[in-house]
Amino acid sequence: MSDTKDAERFAMIASVWNSRAKGLIAEMDLKIERADRQGVEIRMPFNPDFCLDEEGTMLHGGVLTALLDSAFGLANFLAIDDVQTMATLDLRVDYLRPASSRADVIVFADCYRQTRHIAFGTGKIWFDTADCEEVARGSATFALTRGKGSLLDKMNTGGPGG
Amino acid sequence: MKLSDIQARCDRVPFFRHLGFSVTEANDTHFVARMPFEQRHIGNPVLDTYHGGIIASFMEIIASLTVLDDLESPPPKPINLTVDYLRPGLPGTLNTRATVSRKGRRMASVETIAWLEDEGKPVAKGLFHFLLV
Repeated sequence: MSDTKDAERFAMIASVWNSRAKGLIAEMDLKIERADRQGVEIRMPFNPDFCLDEEGTMLHGGVLTALLDSAFGLANFLAIDDVQTMATLDLRVDYLRPASSRADVIVFADCYRQTRHIAFGTGKIWFDTADCEEVARGSATFALTRGKGSLLDKMNTGGPGG
Repeated sequence: MKLSDIQARCDRVPFFRHLGFSVTEANDTHFVARMPFEQRHIGNPVLDTYHGGIIASFMEIIASLTVLDDLESPPPKPINLTVDYLRPGLPGTLNTRATVSRKGRRMASVETIAWLEDEGKPVAKGLFHFLLV
C-alpha cells in the first residue's frame, strides 16, 4: 500500500473512530493525536468521574486499563489491513506509580506483531506534563478474524447495533 | 464488615459510582458484587458488548475490597493485573466474585471471576496484586 493510501486509510479510521465513539470510549472523550502503522497516541482529558476521591486528586487504575484496551483496539485496526473482528484474549497492566495528576493522560499503543489469528500489542500511559511521568505499561493479545467487511465498515455504515 | 457499610464506602468513590455496582456478599476471603449493564459500559459500538476495561475495572475494584482489614483501611495500592477474556461480554448484569489467594503483611494476591448468568460460563477471569503498605 502506498504512503498516501495509507495516510488516507488512517485518517478515515481515525475519523470513524472519533465520530462513532459510544459507551465508555465516548465517556473518556478521547482524541487521536497520532495514528499510523507504528502505533497510536490518544489523549484523554482529566475527568473527575474517573477518580478515587471526591476532590479529584487521583485517577482509578481501572481507567488506565480501559484506556490501554481501547488504544490497543485502534492500533490493531491501523496495523492489520483486513481485520474483520478482534477479541481481547488477555490484558496485562503494570501500575508504575499513583495516577495523581489533573493533567491530560496520553496513551501509546502499538500492534508489534501479527499472525493469521493473533495480534500482540504493547502500550504505555503518561501524563502530559513537563517530565512525561509514566504511570502504566500494558500488553495484550487479540484473536483476529480476517476478511472483507471489517468492524470499521460496519461502524461506518451504521450496521447492526451501530 | 456490614454490606450496607461497605456499599456506603463504595458510594463515596466517584469512579465506583460511575460503574454502578452493588456488593451482595462479603466475608474475610471473598466478595461478590453485581453491576447492571449501562450504555456507558459499552466497548464495541457494533455489538454493544461491555468494554474490556470496564470488566477489568469492576473485577479490580471488587478484588481491592477483599483485602481491606476494615472499613477505615486506606485502599490497597494496585501493583498489576492480568485479565483473561473468555467469552463475549454481552449486555446484561455482570457479576464478579473476588477471592483472596494470599494476603501477607505487604502483598495480597486476589483471583476474580466475572459472569453474566451462569458462573460456570465466565466472561473473564482476573489476577490482581496489591501493595498493602
